[in-house]
Amino acid sequence: MELESESEMLETYMERLSEIQDGEKYKQCLQCGTCGGSCPYGIVTKFTPRKMILAVRANIIDELLESGAQWLCTSCYSCSFRCPSQIPLTDGIIPAARELSLLEGNPPEELARALMNTARYGNPFKESPKKRDRWVKEVDFEIKTLADGPADVLFIPECFGAYHRRCKEVTKAMAEIFNRLGTDFAILGRDEKCIGDSNRLSGEFGLFEELVEKNIKAMEKNPFSRIVTIDAHAFHSLRSEYPRFGFSKPVLHHSEFLAENLETLKEMFSELEYIVTYHDSCYVGRRNGIYDAPRDVIRAIPGVEFVEMKRIKENALCCGGGGGGVWLDSFIKEFMKERPAEERVREAANTGADILVTSCILDIPMFEDALKMTGLEGQIVVKDICELVLEAIR
Amino acid sequence: MKICAILRTVPDLVEEIEVIDDEIEPFAYIANERDEHAVEEAVILKERYGGSVDVIGIVDEDSEEEIEEPLAMALAKGADRAIKLTMSNKSYRRIEQAKALAEYFKDKDYDLILTGIQGIDAFTGMLGPMLSVYMELPFTGYVTSVEAEDGTVKVQKELGGGLLGEFRVKLPAILGIVSAEKPLRFVPLAKLRQVMKKAEIEEDELEIPEFEGVQVVKYYEPEKPEIVLLEGEPEEVADKLIEAFKEIGVL
Ligand code: SF4
Ligand code: SF4
Repeated sequence: MELESESEMLETYMERLSEIQDGEKYKQCLQCGTCGGSCPYGIVTKFTPRKMILAVRANIIDELLESGAQWLCTSCYSCSFRCPSQIPLTDGIIPAARELSLLEGNPPEELARALMNTARYGNPFKESPKKRDRWVKEVDFEIKTLADGPADVLFIPECFGAYHRRCKEVTKAMAEIFNRLGTDFAILGRDEKCIGDSNRLSGEFGLFEELVEKNIKAMEKNPFSRIVTIDAHAFHSLRSEYPRFGFSKPVLHHSEFLAENLETLKEMFSELEYIVTYHDSCYVGRRNGIYDAPRDVIRAIPGVEFVEMKRIKENALCCGGGGGGVWLDSFIKEFMKERPAEERVREAANTGADILVTSCILDIPMFEDALKMTGLEGQIVVKDICELVLEAIR
Repeated sequence: MKICAILRTVPDLVEEIEVIDDEIEPFAYIANERDEHAVEEAVILKERYGGSVDVIGIVDEDSEEEIEEPLAMALAKGADRAIKLTMSNKSYRRIEQAKALAEYFKDKDYDLILTGIQGIDAFTGMLGPMLSVYMELPFTGYVTSVEAEDGTVKVQKELGGGLLGEFRVKLPAILGIVSAEKPLRFVPLAKLRQVMKKAEIEEDELEIPEFEGVQVVKYYEPEKPEIVLLEGEPEEVADKLIEAFKEIGVL
């Protein structure tokens, strides 16, 4: 079912763009080049967002697709954040091009597998949906499921948090904090499906919509008042994309929840003698403007010395895991010697910190891998913000 | 070229299966991956040389519904016809299946019949060779690429020991595909759903006679090996590993 011609391609592309909020704004591109200059892949790609728009205008999308440039993006949002015309590059121009690759049937293999697994099993790992709540057995207190009764907080660990061996530690840490704080919380358990942000950003819009429908249905089983999630992409999607489909509950990133409970936590904190630096994850910081909550929490822990990296807040460098990036690693490696995650852990190590605190679940595998690649393993340790907090209240 | 690819469903091992004495109860069925490669290769050949691709989904009463998505997937990838062929007996009697299929294929005039080289639930890989016997057509298996050359195909196939070989096969023929020339093509979910909605899946039935020779005594899962994670500093782990080796007598 391949797209027959250039014009058919352009038509499909335009149709998708018209469905994306502000999609039409591409017409206002000034060709200023700010986007390419902001992009971590700007130097290696043949088509920066600016040139992508040019390719659309010149009707040479096939050349763009052939170059693979549509996959040299990890949805970091720097280009969109800085674009003077506020063109939806990360949400529109790029995923719409990716969708054409998907329709052509030839996205990068690893990503294709992750998408197909998500379509079948609700997670990219090819794990049984029945195992999604297995982590619950690894904590020594009861965790209820929303299907069993109402709760104040609905906790969403998302796929990495539910299945990934290292990321599960973050999930368990957050659950333990809820437990220590006496929060009335529940999970969706086996009813939870991939929240889907990576699928959306990868151009698999149909899959995204199906996941949204299934998750909203699961959330209707019993009342709850708000969502807390440890996954920055799930956070963004639930907060900004799900409302289009009729979902309307408040959604908190776990750093916001921790900041909200800081006074209680302060009474529980004991001293930690660490030098700590913080990585502003793209979908917590740049995308959703949460800069202070995580910093306030870290600074409140007695004994902790907080140091900043060179590029922080809206200028923070991406870990390379977003928008399907975790599945594009080998593809991207063909284009560049050192990946952004490696550059970022060097930057973190340069601060002299012992701990690199993160707030997006994808940062953990990305940075831990980068520590191995750069030989910095042992010198600096990666911890999610809730892991640091748990350590301070243990 | 008039091509046919044979597609089967097998138990989905990602989901749980229940093993009860002489029955295996899968929670779900999935397309046999090797067969998906046969379908892919069929579509690649159609794109290259023209012609048509029929995909035959072989099912029994248990997996009847679950073939529909894989068949729709084949149509979405470029197959022309999808045919659901229900076998009357839930059976692993491949000989009887092959005989009945050979009969079914008799007047279909396919130039090429492609099968996967094995199913994860049987491991015999015999459907292709048996069809070849009953249809009196040439067969070769472990094929990784196919090129048409007037009235024949030149195939590349895997031999043992990492060797590759090229063979010329006269058409019509039956080929066992180990993997298609290119990775399985991706089909976006929206496209698949669209095709599923309007797909016309033809249906046919095959009567398979009882076969007395082999009987299932019982099915069972092998004992699970005990997994011990050695944790600690590298030196500590090394010590523990040496202890473990000594214990099982390899040191
Ligand atoms: S930053 Fe915006 S306006 Fe400037 S070239 Fe890029 S897309 Fe166009
Ligand atoms: S979102 Fe980030 S990675 Fe993607 S094109 Fe924009 S700047 Fe580059």
